[in-house]
Amino acid sequence: MYVLIYGLINSFILSLLSLGFALVYSIARLPNFAHGAIYVATGYVGWFLFNRLLLPFPVAMFLALLFSALTGALIYRIVLIKVRGMTLSEVIASYAIGIAILEILRWGGLRGMTFMLPVLIPGSVEILGVSIDYQRLIIVGLSAGLLLFLYLFTHHTKIGLSFRAIAQDERASLMLGIDSDKAALLSLSMGSAFCGLAALFILPLGNIVVEAGYSTLIFALAVCVVGGLGSTAGVVAASFILGFTQTLTEKLISSHFQMVVALLAIIGILILRPSGLFGKQKELEERV
Amino acid sequence: MKVIRKMWMIFILIAFLGVGYAQQKVKPIVIGAPLSTAFLYGWAPERAMKLAVEEINEEGGVNIGGEKRPLRLEVIDTRDLEPGVPVSEALLAVEKLILEKKVDFLVGGPVRSEAALASMDLVSKYGKIQIITTGCLTPLLHKRIEENYEKYKYTFRNTSHAGVMSQDFMTVMENLKNQYGLKKIMVMVQDVEHARKGGEIIAKMARERGFEVLDIKIYPTGTTDYSVGLNEAKNKGAQILFLWMDMPESAILLKQWAEMKVKALPMGFVCAAEQPGFYKATGGKGEYLIVHVVNGGNVPADITPWTMKFVKAYEKKWGLEPEGYGTSSSYMAVYQLKAAIEKAGTLETGKVIKALEELDLMGVYGRMRFDKRSHQIIPSHDPKEGAVPCIFQWQGERRVQVFPESVARGKILLPPWMR
Repeated sequence: MYVLIYGLINSFILSLLSLGFALVYSIARLPNFAHGAIYVATGYVGWFLFNRLLLPFPVAMFLALLFSALTGALIYRIVLIKVRGMTLSEVIASYAIGIAILEILRWGGLRGMTFMLPVLIPGSVEILGVSIDYQRLIIVGLSAGLLLFLYLFTHHTKIGLSFRAIAQDERASLMLGIDSDKAALLSLSMGSAFCGLAALFILPLGNIVVEAGYSTLIFALAVCVVGGLGSTAGVVAASFILGFTQTLTEKLISSHFQMVVALLAIIGILILRPSGLFGKQKELEERV
Repeated sequence: MKVIRKMWMIFILIAFLGVGYAQQKVKPIVIGAPLSTAFLYGWAPERAMKLAVEEINEEGGVNIGGEKRPLRLEVIDTRDLEPGVPVSEALLAVEKLILEKKVDFLVGGPVRSEAALASMDLVSKYGKIQIITTGCLTPLLHKRIEENYEKYKYTFRNTSHAGVMSQDFMTVMENLKNQYGLKKIMVMVQDVEHARKGGEIIAKMARERGFEVLDIKIYPTGTTDYSVGLNEAKNKGAQILFLWMDMPESAILLKQWAEMKVKALPMGFVCAAEQPGFYKATGGKGEYLIVHVVNGGNVPADITPWTMKFVKAYEKKWGLEPEGYGTSSSYMAVYQLKAAIEKAGTLETGKVIKALEELDLMGVYGRMRFDKRSHQIIPSHDPKEGAVPCIFQWQGERRVQVFPESVARGKILLPPWMR
C-alpha cells in the first residue's frame, strides 16, 4: 500500500517541481535553466524574511513568491529577450544566470544545512496503515490544484488563450495582435512563480541548500524530457512514471538503483521517442 | 630648548619606524589550508585555525631558536566537497598553495578522502608536511604511510578514522542492547565510498556481535524521500536506524522519522545534524539523534582543561559553539605544528617530521601523539592516554556528549514513542 501512496505523493512532488519549467518552454519556447536557482533563491528569501526580518509567515511567503515572479520577469527582460530564438544561447545564458544566483546565495551566507522553512501543519496521519505527514498531503492538493488552475487559466482567460495561441503558432498569433514578448515575459514570470510555490511547499520537507538548485533542475528536465517538452499532459504523465518507477525500484529492487532507473527511463524515451511521450517538437522527423 | 625637543621627537620617530621595519622583516611562517570552504568541514576548520593563529600570534608567535616568528594562514577553496568537482581541482589548489603562495606547511584538507589520498603524492613530491585535520576518514591514508613510510612520511592525520569510529558505534550499540534491549538494526547509508564502506563494516560487526541486521539501504546522493525504507524499518520492527550520510537531504530522513514516529533510535555519522543550529532549524525533529563528530572538543565537554577553554574562545570569536567534525582537530593541528617547530628549532622538513613524531601534547581532546610509523593520531577513551572521540545526542537544544563514558556529560535517552 505504501508504494501506491508514496508513489502518488512523489509523482505530485515531481510534477510540482517541473510545472514551471514546462510552462515557460511550452509558451515562450525558452529552456529556463535558471529554474533550480529560482527554486533555492525563493526558499532562501522566504527563510530570510521569516527568520531574520521576523515577518509573519504568510507575509514572508507571499513576498518570497513575489520575488520569484519578479526574478523570472527580470531574467527575461534583461537577458533572455536579447538571445531569444537562439536555442544554444538561451541555454547558456539561463544556465549562467542560474549559477550566478546560486553562487551569490552561497557567498551571501547560504552555507550549511540549518536553513529550514517550517511546515504548514506539523504532524502526520495514518491512511490505510501508512503514515503520511500533513505537509506531503498539502503538496498533493497544491499540485493537483495548480494543474486544474493551469487548465482553467489557459482555456478560459484572455491571457491564457493568448499563451496557447503563441504556443501553437507564434507567427499566426503575432498577426492577431498578440505581443509575443509580453507573453514570454508573463510566462517566465508565471513559471518562476510556480517554481517558487514549489519551493515554499517542498523545501520544508528538508533544508535549503545550494545543491538543491542543481538537483531540482535535473528533476525538472527529466520530467520534461520524458513527458515531452512543452506538454503539460506530458509533465503529469512523466511525473507519474518517474515517481512510481523510483518508489517501485526502491521497494522491489533496491534504493541504490532509484536514480539509475529514472535515468534509464530518460535514455529509453530519448531513443524510442525523442520528443517525449506527448511532445510534438520532432514528431514529423520521428515519423520519417 | 625647542631645537633639542624637536631633535628628540625626530629621534623617537626614527626609532619607531626602525622597530616597525625590523618587525616587518620577521618573516612569518605560512600555513596553507586547502579546504572546501563552502561546507561545514571546510569553514569550521578555517575558523578554528584562524583562532589558533590569532592566539599564537598574540603570544608573540613561534619561537625558533630564540627568534619569535608570527604565523600567517593562507586559505584556498579546494571545492572538493561540491558535487561534480574532480579530484584534480583540489590537487591544483594544493599545488597553488605550495608553488605560488610558498607555504611552509599544509594543514586541513583536502577534505574528500579521494582528494586527500591523491594529495599525499603531491606533498611527497614537494617535500611539504601536511596535517590532515578534517573530512578524510578512510583508514587507507595511514595504511599507505605505514606501507611506504619513506614516500609518504610528510603526511600526518590528527583526526580519527572510520575504523575507530565503527568500534565506537559498536560499543554504543552494545550499551543500547544491554540497557534497552535494542538489537534489530536497519542500516541506511549514502551512495558514496566512505558511507557504503562504513555501513558494510557496521553491518558485519553487528552480526558478529549478535545483532540482527534487517537490511542495508543505500540511497543515491540527493534522495528526497525515505518513506519506503522507514516504513520497512517500522514493519520489520527495527530498533536502531544506523545512518552514514553527508548529504543535506539526510535532514528529510530525520524529519520523516520523527513524523512517522518510527520506533527505532537513529544514530550514525550525519553531517546535517552536527551544527549547533540543527535542533532549532528542524523544529525539534532531530531530537534524540545520536551523532559521531569524530573528535572530542567539537561539542562542549570536559575532556581536558583546554576543552572548554577552546569552546569558549571559539564561541567568543565566532558567536557559536564549535560546529562539528574538523573544528577541534584543525585548531589543535596549528598548536601541534607550533610545538614541533619549536622543538625542532628549525623549519627544515626532516627535523619537523621527527619532532611531530615525538610530540606528546595534552590538547583539546586528550593526549595527542602520532603513531611513529603510520602518522595516525593514537586514539583512546582515556584523555590521559590518547585522542578522545565524541558521540553526542541531541537532547532538547543541547548536544550532549554521551560517549566515551569517561568524559560523557549525559546518558542516552529514548524518544517518548519508544519508551
